Amino acid sequence: MAREDFIAVAADDWYQRRRQDAEGRFFLGVAEQGPRKGAGGSTRQGIYALTAAGKLLAYRNAGQNPDVMREVITDAHRTWKSLPESERKPGTVQIGDHGPVDARFTRMPPENGLIVRVSARLLDRGADGGFKDAACETGRGDEASRDHLWITEAEWKSLVPASPRAGGKVPVPVGLAARIARFHLVDHTRGEPNFWSAEEVRLNQLSLIMEEVGPTRITFRVEGAVLLTTDADFAKAQRGFDARVSGWLEFDRERKAFTRFDLVAVGDHWGRGTYTGPARPGRTPLGLAFELTEGKSPAERVAPQAARDVSGYFAAGPRN
Amino acid sequence: MSSRLLCASPAVFLALALHASSTDANAADASARAQFAELHALIKPRVAEQKWEQIPWLTSLWEARQKAAREGKPILLWEMDGHPLGCT
Repeated sequence: MAREDFIAVAADDWYQRRRQDAEGRFFLGVAEQGPRKGAGGSTRQGIYALTAAGKLLAYRNAGQNPDVMREVITDAHRTWKSLPESERKPGTVQIGDHGPVDARFTRMPPENGLIVRVSARLLDRGADGGFKDAACETGRGDEASRDHLWITEAEWKSLVPASPRAGGKVPVPVGLAARIARFHLVDHTRGEPNFWSAEEVRLNQLSLIMEEVGPTRITFRVEGAVLLTTDADFAKAQRGFDARVSGWLEFDRERKAFTRFDLVAVGDHWGRGTYTGPARPGRTPLGLAFELTEGKSPAERVAPQAARDVSGYFAAGPRN
Repeated sequence: MSSRLLCASPAVFLALALHASSTDANAADASARAQFAELHALIKPRVAEQKWEQIPWLTSLWEARQKAAREGKPILLWEMDGHPLGCT
């Protein structure tokens, strides 16, 4: 029904409620018709059904509950059908151009950059010492969560030496290594995560080794380890992640493009975030998987969570 | 066979040792790659966890308005703190 009978759109309320442009004003006008008016600048999150002209048809703050989403869609469709045809007929309502966009609250992937999908999943240790799916009783916490890592053109180009040789090591740009550690080695399985400050990065070793150098392709092996803790004393830290990083990258020398950017970070995580309620007790395994995307669909182009502070995101060096 | 090996030159032993070492390294490398692939697949979203991708979500409310007006459909807006299609 959502696919056939509605035009579906998803947005981050943090941006939508702040932007001062035509889209922001339109959204506030719709939200004002519902119960969640965002007093004091607070959240207006929820599921809205509305007309193109801006009439609110239904609203619920449902989080990610599919049953509530289904109810909203069904109720809204009934209300929509009850509207006069003059409000529903294709082409009756005219929507002009957007006009100037509030760039402070609009994010676009870096030009010619890489978009890497980052998935997080709670894990358990199996009897064989390997990892397996975690049994999680909190909501749908046993499912993978997602975010995106953005890498600039200058950064990915710097990973490819002019004269590559098998066995050679390539330094990872400090800013990129810090961005990965601080903003992407986080537990976002239960919602908006806390990121790591520069001081909380106790160890961040990332090595890129040219494993195979052929006429058409370079294969890189990635090895590393991170220690991210809220306190310099490992034992006292309220939140932390002690993980090993491994992976494989592939660079197509003819296309001059990365075709693979697979990383895994896995290790013990502990502690809860500001907005992410009960965490599993103790230190338990968390896994993060990185994978290159083509960035073609709107969903793949959604900004990294940490890019709300976009200048901080791209300048995530050790002292920033 | 063993007598022939005993008579072989040190260079032959070295070559055999290097070959064995190379074979071991290749096996270890293949095993490491397989373990990596297994772990990567374990963490990534499963097909059942990506059903939401079957809906052609837009990320611009303005674009959704234009499309809805053109096609005579209502808009379904999923608005969260943290992008519903990203990290929320």
